Amino acid sequence: MENIIDVQNLKKEFKSYSSRQGLKGAFRDLFTRNYTIKTAVDDISFSIKRGEMVGYIGENGAGKSTSIKMLTGILTPTDGKIVVNGMNPHKEREKFVKTIGVVFGQRSQLWWDIAVQESFRLLKKIYNVPDQQYEEHMKDVIETLDIGPLLDKPVRKLSLGQRMRCELAAALIHNPPLLFLDEPTIGLDVLVKLKIREFLKRINEKYGTTILLTTHDLSDIEALCERVVMLDEGKIIYDGPLKELRENWAEGKQIQFQFSEKATLEELQNLTKDHLVVWEQGESDLIWIASVDSDETVISGVIGKVTAVKKIADLKILEISTEEIIRNIYVEGAVRHG
Amino acid sequence: MEYLSIFFQYAGQYLKTRLTYRADMVVEIFSDFLFQAVNLVFILVVFGHTTLLAGWSKDEMIFIYGFFLVPFAIFSSFFNIWDFTDRYIVKGEMDRILTRPVHSLFQIVLERMELESLFGAVTGLIVMFYAGGKLGLEISWYDPFIFLLLVIGGALVYAGIFISLATIGFWSDSRTDIMPMMYNIGNYGRYPVDIYNKIIKYVLTWILPFAFVGVYPASYFLERKEWYTYAFLTPVVGLVFFMIAVTLWNVGVTKYRGAGN
Repeated sequence: MENIIDVQNLKKEFKSYSSRQGLKGAFRDLFTRNYTIKTAVDDISFSIKRGEMVGYIGENGAGKSTSIKMLTGILTPTDGKIVVNGMNPHKEREKFVKTIGVVFGQRSQLWWDIAVQESFRLLKKIYNVPDQQYEEHMKDVIETLDIGPLLDKPVRKLSLGQRMRCELAAALIHNPPLLFLDEPTIGLDVLVKLKIREFLKRINEKYGTTILLTTHDLSDIEALCERVVMLDEGKIIYDGPLKELRENWAEGKQIQFQFSEKATLEELQNLTKDHLVVWEQGESDLIWIASVDSDETVISGVIGKVTAVKKIADLKILEISTEEIIRNIYVEGAVRHG
Repeated sequence: MEYLSIFFQYAGQYLKTRLTYRADMVVEIFSDFLFQAVNLVFILVVFGHTTLLAGWSKDEMIFIYGFFLVPFAIFSSFFNIWDFTDRYIVKGEMDRILTRPVHSLFQIVLERMELESLFGAVTGLIVMFYAGGKLGLEISWYDPFIFLLLVIGGALVYAGIFISLATIGFWSDSRTDIMPMMYNIGNYGRYPVDIYNKIIKYVLTWILPFAFVGVYPASYFLERKEWYTYAFLTPVVGLVFFMIAVTLWNVGVTKYRGAGN
């Protein structure tokens, strides 16, 4: 299948002034300024195929928003090539944006003072959507997002969750083949999040909409995306299936013991010296965590040896969460490949 | 054509919103009106002491003032971009504008229009008819068309200057006080330029051509033949300045840095 997004050696630099200290510095700034060039996006390349749902993750300031803004035609790249939907987003902006939908979680597309449906009508006009197409498509969208009862309320009277669902509907008025979502679930409660995820899955299946999603909430990515692109300091540090990321990083399991009497590290290490175990103290000196390989004999061996000697109040076997994996990756700064 | 229909959709929506805050709108129109009345009183006071100013009579001055109000009303209804840097660059609203398939400047015109300012044009017409009546001016059949052309030219001059200033925001988002200053300079255009010294006259004609909003086009209707060349240059100057502004704008958009989030 053809690539819907094709990015090659994309780069974005921001020039900024740094001011000197003190009054004397301010005077010197009047004549010569110190420039610092900050590279927000540093030579990244990737492509996305039609119908894919891709998670775009990274810490704050990793270059997520900047690259999304270049992909949507808002910012001009410093260098590199972008082709999205067969067009250069910045050069043919007005024609190009008709083929994409954009939701910025922290910015509203809707008019604050007017009823939601009036906003929709204005957007319908702006995108020049024929009546019939609008009726058919939006009826479905409104029903799935369950925003029918909100349509005649002004946006300022909606709760965040209600507004976000309306924002999503607004981004889909022209039924774009490509949808950019920047933090769409920020600050939303679990139920609304679930509803939005379900909805995104549905339009992906029904219309084959390609979705690029940035989020801090990794559960969004887990629920929706098979592929993740991970950025750090403007560079792509991982691009591939989420599953692989988990497999390569979450090799082990953790066993959490809660003892009814005090335990020491030495004592525990002594007990399990036949196995490869890393012991770590939990929240108190009663709680200890053993990190082990995902191997049945090791797990049962460790549990057997420990419980034979020490009395335990509770026992948990934990899988390492994606969140932890990502944290580990950022700490190490690179991705190991299996 | 498509833009026209988008415009009407926005204008309809605008009126609908404004009509729900009726009291607000009445107060605004009233305060606009008062502001213009004060300006008129100023002219009357000046002429309380003298009857001629550099060869212009009181009624002629009032006529020029009345004319000036019409393009100015059009400008202030559609080009409320004095707070562009704050509203669109610093707060990052430009991001939203740029994700829509309509020219960005046109969208801002639509979002920021204040149609009630058009009432200023009515005041202007009343003032012109009053002064024109006293001067015994006659109206030919083609005058309304020329009037329309000159008014549009004048409004474009204003729009061109203020759009050009707004584009500074694309390069630097620091606060400047240039906008209010420019509003003040704009007011000089409604008095005959030959009462000023040469340099100011030159500036008001060719650099910040505010004279093309008031005195030059109005002199056509006052039958001041010595100014006719300038009067008919009005649409040309308007178009040139507006085109420069739009070009600057289009370049500026490519320099837009976005607000960090």
